[in-house]
Amino acid sequence: MEIFSEYLKRDNFLLAVDARIKLLFALGLLAMVLSYKGFFFPLLTVILSLGLCLWLRVPLRIVFMRFSEPLFIASIIVVLKVFFSGKELLFYLPIPYSKFSLFTLVAHRDGLMEGMQIASRILGAVSIVVVMGFLIPFTEFISALSWMRIPKGFVEILLFTYRYIFVLMEDAMVIYNAQKNRLGYSSIRRGLSSFSDLTASLILRAFEKSEQITSSMIQRGYDGGIPAIRHRPFKATEVLVSLLILTVLGVIWRV
Amino acid sequence: MKFKGHGLKILMPSLLLLPDNAQAMHISEGILPFNWALFWFIVAAPFMVWGLYELKKRSSTDISFKPLVGLLAAVVFIISCMPIPVPTAGTCSHPCGTGISGILLGPAISILISAVALLIQALFLAHGGLTTWGANIVAMGIMGSIAGFLTFKLLRSLKMNMAVSGFMAGLFADWATYLTTSVELASGIRGDSPFLPLFWKILIAFIPTQLPLGILEGAMTSGMVVLIYKKRPDLLVKMRVLKAEEVRV
Repeated sequence: MEIFSEYLKRDNFLLAVDARIKLLFALGLLAMVLSYKGFFFPLLTVILSLGLCLWLRVPLRIVFMRFSEPLFIASIIVVLKVFFSGKELLFYLPIPYSKFSLFTLVAHRDGLMEGMQIASRILGAVSIVVVMGFLIPFTEFISALSWMRIPKGFVEILLFTYRYIFVLMEDAMVIYNAQKNRLGYSSIRRGLSSFSDLTASLILRAFEKSEQITSSMIQRGYDGGIPAIRHRPFKATEVLVSLLILTVLGVIWRV
Repeated sequence: MKFKGHGLKILMPSLLLLPDNAQAMHISEGILPFNWALFWFIVAAPFMVWGLYELKKRSSTDISFKPLVGLLAAVVFIISCMPIPVPTAGTCSHPCGTGISGILLGPAISILISAVALLIQALFLAHGGLTTWGANIVAMGIMGSIAGFLTFKLLRSLKMNMAVSGFMAGLFADWATYLTTSVELASGIRGDSPFLPLFWKILIAFIPTQLPLGILEGAMTSGMVVLIYKKRPDLLVKMRVLKAEEVRV
């Protein structure tokens, strides 16, 4: 499983840009893509995002992996819309394709257009989030969330989760490999039983670790809450350049 | 369904074979138009407030509660990233893990946990999305957790054993998620078409994956509950899943 900021390019200047600006920029762009009626703007976003990914030297395999699920869903939606939505006839499809068909699927031109519009919106929006994932380190993302007045309790849980995903993932891999070596996944039934054991063990470890972690944190001064995250002031150039790019994109969106 | 001729001959196999891990459970980024995305955020908001209120209340009496919730959110994240082969669909899918978190921590905290797991998945795995975060919280967090929790409580009050109660809780948590996802998708993508026909079509389209996946998730939840019951029944008492007298010494 390849997750998180493995592909963050530390040497790229975009990574140094304030995460709050990048987040607000992405949210603004997402709102534009979602509210756009047509293909052009979302597809432009896809092209720009893919270009940015290539410029960031993110391996194409990783980019494709990120897009595989949304592509699948977009394709299903196009099929659903073509055959089950719209009025203007595109073609008939007897099932099975012979004289003795059981039923006929009717494809609609307007359904196809609607489906394509949704598909382009999906790909456009996903491309923005994919780029965001490559440009904002998670800790900075959390800091930006706290600046956006997201409740402190939620931010704290997010921090704890992020910290312990890696610890528990390692535990999970150790258990998984041990199970695999003992043919724990040789059949669906055994696999299911092994997987239940694995997840139950993780839950038990979570309980045990939470007690250990709390006592070690108390020793370091933890009193049940994390200190407020400090934010550096915005840089005028970063704000201005972002606003300029967003305005240009906004004009294209309006046209 | 066999398609011969036309471009569909190429399209259909690629639809089935393209993704290694089809996550039908999460609504992908961009599917919902702006107004529907906003609507689901508004629906999710009071439940998130409920979760945060419960978190504050429980962590004021137990200082280890926040780290525990964070750790369990990490477990739910890991569980929901693990692929399970779904033989009927020829793809892999993923459990949601809200059944078990609903049973262990109650629906309010489970909603919070799902929200955290969904946010991390959206940002780093492109599973789900930021704009569909609200909709996914409603489907997976709220409906999944509440369905799992209520089913487990109901069956336990009817003196069902842990295995059956856990199985049904996992099953209904999964199916409730899938049902809500279908409602959200149908309302979001229907355009000018009527809601109900599209809803049924989406529901039927999900059946090959989600029907067996629900059963698998039920079996897994059952296995998890039983194992925790056997190894650490005290934890189930601590989390108020069982009463002390229900635990055999």
